[in-house]
Amino acid sequence: MPRLSLGRRAALLSLGGLAAASIATPARARGSVTAAIYPGAWDEAFRTHVVPALKRAHNVDLAMEPLFAVDQVNKVQAARGAPPFDVFVLDPGPRITAIERGLCEPFDARQIPNRAQVPERMIDQWGIGVSVQVVGIAYNPRKLPVPKGWADLFREPFVSRLGITGFQTTFGTVSLIEIAKVFGGSETNVEPAFVELKKVLPRIAAVGAPAAMPGLFQQGQCDVMYTNTQNVATLKERGVDIAFAIPETGAPAFLTTMHLVKGTREAANAYRYIDTVVSAGVQEALSKPPFNFIPVNQAVPLGADMPMRSLDEMANFVSHDWSKINPLRSDWIQRFNREMAR
Amino acid sequence: MSIAVAAPVAAGAAPLRRDIGPWALTLPLGAAYLAFFVAPLLMLLAVSFYADERMTTLGLRQWERFLGDPFHWKVVADTLLLGAKTVAATVLLGLPLALVWRTAPPFWQRMLLFIVVLPLLTSVVVRTFAWIVILGREGVVNALVLGLGLASEPLRLLQTELGLVIALTQIEMPLLMLPLLAVISRIDPNVIDASASLGASPWRTLFTVILPLSLPGISAGCLLVFASSTTAFISQSVIGGGRLVYLPALVWQQAMVVSDWPFAATAAVMLMVSVMAVIAVIALVGRVAAGRIGG
Repeated sequence: MPRLSLGRRAALLSLGGLAAASIATPARARGSVTAAIYPGAWDEAFRTHVVPALKRAHNVDLAMEPLFAVDQVNKVQAARGAPPFDVFVLDPGPRITAIERGLCEPFDARQIPNRAQVPERMIDQWGIGVSVQVVGIAYNPRKLPVPKGWADLFREPFVSRLGITGFQTTFGTVSLIEIAKVFGGSETNVEPAFVELKKVLPRIAAVGAPAAMPGLFQQGQCDVMYTNTQNVATLKERGVDIAFAIPETGAPAFLTTMHLVKGTREAANAYRYIDTVVSAGVQEALSKPPFNFIPVNQAVPLGADMPMRSLDEMANFVSHDWSKINPLRSDWIQRFNREMAR
Repeated sequence: MSIAVAAPVAAGAAPLRRDIGPWALTLPLGAAYLAFFVAPLLMLLAVSFYADERMTTLGLRQWERFLGDPFHWKVVADTLLLGAKTVAATVLLGLPLALVWRTAPPFWQRMLLFIVVLPLLTSVVVRTFAWIVILGREGVVNALVLGLGLASEPLRLLQTELGLVIALTQIEMPLLMLPLLAVISRIDPNVIDASASLGASPWRTLFTVILPLSLPGISAGCLLVFASSTTAFISQSVIGGGRLVYLPALVWQQAMVVSDWPFAATAAVMLMVSVMAVIAVIALVGRVAAGRIGG
């Protein structure tokens, strides 16, 4: 009897061991990585394409935290060495801030096998470009004619249907700078934008938080706003009447980059994630409707409805010197919120 | 506060350390409160006394900045006023419902209670976005108003204080109704019958008997509604929009967008102090009323 029971125990043990082994080795994910992501179009696009691609290619689970660039930088700084996520996705302004404040790990491009397909000027010792964003005017073509430029937003029929947002996002900042320029201001002088906004404020349809703007447009609360091409594409896919207009003074374009957060414990998976994002497969999927991301991977052709035919055309778009804008920006943010208050 | 919980004291059983026993049971919660509520609160207070954003030198600069600027006083006033308006609207709508509930048969009492509690069972985000759909320019209310020919232009409800108060009234209603119903259900029906048999009209009975007896419940409910609506950050920012600035939005903007912690801490302390001051007044009114009834 003892022998039998021993045998039974051994059998159970080995069965259990087999089961444990089968769970442990091939099926178990290699781990996970948490990435900050812009709310809205980026969040949806990455959920649709990057999450499954990363799982397939590297067996890594991707968790995402929707935050605008400025919020990401402040959140990491607030966490003081215990980063709430592993990868930043940043626009040029917050990118400089994050590097200056020492919130980025040095970036080792050799960990990104797909880097060969990304233009060299988009890679540096701090990160890599993942997409180009183009900012302009979104409007409802069934209710409004095509706006020609920024100044049109301050005239009827546009102004009473206009939705605005402040300086806390890159698209808001560059739009307000371009508005200021049209009325005699410059990259460092947004005074004219404030003056003009003050004049029309009682007539403006909506003043909202940046994340609220697509919802306000969808609900018909406003019919014209400044935003980037991805948000337009995502709303259009949902059946919203929306079209994108490039202002006559040119549309701002900027590179969006990814960076490792200082103190990340998932550096290897973070590199796998970034490599997946810039891979030809994912870049092509993201460049298709409804997302219409402008790809940085040169193996991916730029689609017919993209605002540019090739990445070289970026030179024809409006660019900004963020080292000059950054020191002024926090005052602009506060001033906007104060002056737009009822 | 006026929500007193009658602690059942076991009269017969008198163990040796009877005095310490119940207190020892509160130790875990007490310790948690000390570590995770009192300590952070003191830290918040301390941060507000840093003079610069980098938090290197101490000083009263943030307080001077806050108190010396009429804009911030207006934000404080608007926040308290929003709370007052929400309290007024919930009481005006909730009180008649509570009176109906008092006389309703048990089945309808249960149904009414369920309907009253319903808003608590949905997430705040869902509730808030539902109100966008209802109040929007092309929303349910405007479709009705335009369809009935009551107005030629869509009404502006979203991103106005009126719209925000309407939404908050629905969102905060359960916080008024639950304490109010608890108190109103305990009113002795004989007192009301006595009032009627002594010749008082129903209105007089309402104002001299029922309302004074339900005051403790009303004040407890007002207290909760006021505290909750003045700090309802999501509803305020999503339904109110960018042109209505209240203290919670100011705190968030300073802490998370501008990254000025000392000033954010100052605004947060101001929010707490001003809301607590009003709550103290409400609680006092409730206690005075309860005291007068008690004898």
